[in-house]
Amino acid sequence: MMEPIIHFDRSWQGEFSKRILEDGPWAKAGMFALAYQAEKERLIPSFHGLIAPGRLPHLSLHPHQIETARTVVEEMHGKAILADEVGLGKTIEAGLIIKEYMIRGLASKVLVLVPASLVLQWVSELNTKFSIPAVPQRKSYVWGRCDVVVSSIDTAKREPHRSLVLEQDYDLVIIDEAHKLKNHKTKNYQFIQLLKKKFCLLLTATPIQNRLNEIFYLVSLLKPGYLGDADSFAKTFKSGQRAVRNEERLKALVNQVMVRNRREDTGLHWPKRIIQSFDIPFSAEEQIFYQALSMLRNNGIIRGFSLLTLQREACSSREAAFLTLNKIYRSGSAPDCETIWQSIFEKLNAVKQNAKAEKALELIHQINDKVIIFTEYRATQLYLQWFFKQHGITSVPFSGGFRRGKKDWMRTLFQNHVQVLIATEAGGEGINLQFASHLINYDLPWNPMRIEQRIGRIHRLGQESDVHIYNFAIRGTVESHILNLLYNKIHLFEQVIGELDAILARIELRDVEKQVQQIFEESESEGEVRVKLDNLSSVINSEKALAGEEVHHAAGGHS
Amino acid sequence: MQQAAIHDFLTHFFTASGCTLLPVPDSDVLKVKLNKEIDKLLMNRPFYWHYIEQTGGTPETATLVFRTDDKAEEGELIHFGSPRLHQIFDAALKLAPYIRLYQNLPPQSSSALEPWLAINAKISYKCDLKKDRICSIGLQLINGTLIDGFQDILDKLPLLPKMPDYCYTLSPLIRIGSGIKRIETFLESVLKSEPTGWADDAGKRWARDQELLDSFYEQQDPKPETYFQEKEAIREQYQPRILVQFINAGLFYLKSSTFLPGSIRDH
Repeated sequence: MMEPIIHFDRSWQGEFSKRILEDGPWAKAGMFALAYQAEKERLIPSFHGLIAPGRLPHLSLHPHQIETARTVVEEMHGKAILADEVGLGKTIEAGLIIKEYMIRGLASKVLVLVPASLVLQWVSELNTKFSIPAVPQRKSYVWGRCDVVVSSIDTAKREPHRSLVLEQDYDLVIIDEAHKLKNHKTKNYQFIQLLKKKFCLLLTATPIQNRLNEIFYLVSLLKPGYLGDADSFAKTFKSGQRAVRNEERLKALVNQVMVRNRREDTGLHWPKRIIQSFDIPFSAEEQIFYQALSMLRNNGIIRGFSLLTLQREACSSREAAFLTLNKIYRSGSAPDCETIWQSIFEKLNAVKQNAKAEKALELIHQINDKVIIFTEYRATQLYLQWFFKQHGITSVPFSGGFRRGKKDWMRTLFQNHVQVLIATEAGGEGINLQFASHLINYDLPWNPMRIEQRIGRIHRLGQESDVHIYNFAIRGTVESHILNLLYNKIHLFEQVIGELDAILARIELRDVEKQVQQIFEESESEGEVRVKLDNLSSVINSEKALAGEEVHHAAGGHS
Repeated sequence: MQQAAIHDFLTHFFTASGCTLLPVPDSDVLKVKLNKEIDKLLMNRPFYWHYIEQTGGTPETATLVFRTDDKAEEGELIHFGSPRLHQIFDAALKLAPYIRLYQNLPPQSSSALEPWLAINAKISYKCDLKKDRICSIGLQLINGTLIDGFQDILDKLPLLPKMPDYCYTLSPLIRIGSGIKRIETFLESVLKSEPTGWADDAGKRWARDQELLDSFYEQQDPKPETYFQEKEAIREQYQPRILVQFINAGLFYLKSSTFLPGSIRDH
């Protein structure tokens, strides 16, 4: 038998006696009953079920999000790993849980730790979607004075903030991108461990099919001892460095503290991805200019790496290449090469048309609907805006560096007024553009995760049409190699969002970009490039196959 | 709370607080010119009021427009989740912590009014989960009669802030302080006799998590700070508590026959 502690609030009694003695002041007649009614309306009648959805009539919640919040509150007692696949709305689930605890009066002091680039987005979502008065951490007094604070871990863990944060008694701590906390020796991990927290949510899209140790340390952050201590965990569940023993038991245990919704289980309609690649030939002048760039390396003016950069830029637009060329020229590192420079700039000036831009224009006319164009280069972005304008198409620019307000404004303009949005960065600063369904990859980033992020802008919850992706590559250039690798070999564009990250993490190959760069720089011939890229893609593919098998074993997820 | 009930609540709130309701064409719209007191409570502009009071200027209080129907064209949409409604709920609580009222009797029916102490409270059952109930208890300050559900009865009576003519009040025999004690004792005995299944379950969850924690730190002696901190956090999470939170309290002078059928308990 557990005897509850009964606590009477007596703080009002002194004042009441005083008013009797002094004959008032007394409340107005009707107000007394209204105050009673207000409290009566706000009562929480049951331990069970969720109150929050009924108070958020304008937020359209999906059944899996409501069920997740209920599971976390009722069955996991407020300590859980939220590991939904990307795009299923983990932020919404977290917001719903915060709201539920706040309405029930179980949480008032809440700390949300997220990557720096996401702070303002979290603040705005909590405020606008949930009416939760969250504030970004800007001044050090915020820690003590504000109830719901959003900050980056990096800020929070540094003095003078650190000691202030550790002084607070948090009712609820939420950590986004929690997979970054897998290493218990890091300062971040130890900092989170020290936080005083009654309830805790860890959000991650790349759950824990990676290393067993990562499962152990992540869960131990939430519920120390739940998977035993480090030794007993190793004895029970590990065999060798990576293999699992007693897998069923581990899975069952983990599922008690983790919710993982999968796209296929949500019963939601997921639009198809329709991918088209365009192998676009340069115009004669562009071709001549592109080839001329090699002269710079052959004459020792630039090195392999810079040539690669220039070639990629030339594939995008002469404007993009010009900026870099001009910089190298002005740095004056090779004064005797004036004739070479002159010849190159002449060839650049001779370029009159941009093959890709014309293709894009043709597509935009054909599509006759909202189109998002992603380019890697600011100069290309400006050029395209100008070029489209010449042909009667207005567009808005979008860059990662814009302030939040400007981003929202551009998004609104795009949604309501113009056909084309030209973006240079999809970034972590997620803007959601699911009202558009056509995306042109004008040039291709070499880091596959960036492609994922681009596609993720439109292929997400709320997208109602099939998603069309158009990839541009110039025939016979570095670009066509990349397209071949990403598209033909590792089938990146068909990939389910979120899987790739997990795969790259497994083979510790997050920096694919660097790998690809190295291949280009160190290879002597086209043939060598091809062979090496083939090798890289087969490594990724074999790991993908392995992951596919394991995904359904370890860490299967709550259902 | 349905939209119509919200509309009624707002109407009553602004009327009771002395604000001016302005005419509107649409029955789902409410337009109200705030008075100074409510403007200060709702509009969150302390600097403005500080300035007006310092300079002795003429204040211009705000006019608010609410709508309780999505389709109405004008005003701020109010539903049960809107922060504005909860701000108004909070304002009602702030404005009415203590009261004294007299039952209004028809003229010439000269009679004695008996003193009652009433306490309204919210009772919360809290562990890692939480639920509440409301309670309203009245204590007759002469003979110690206790009545549960007191506010519901008050709501049906005509009450006035001033003693009606031809009426007089009887002096209490029970002092306010001991009256409050009596109500507490009564409540405590009720709460202690309630089933504790919810608390037992929370206790089991608590014990289980505590065992896990102990096993995690079993090898470490002395235990690190994180152990004690986590232990405290688990206690915070699961410790079953019943909180009796004050809503408001009042003195009521009522005609002695008012409660003839309803009295539930004599002391």
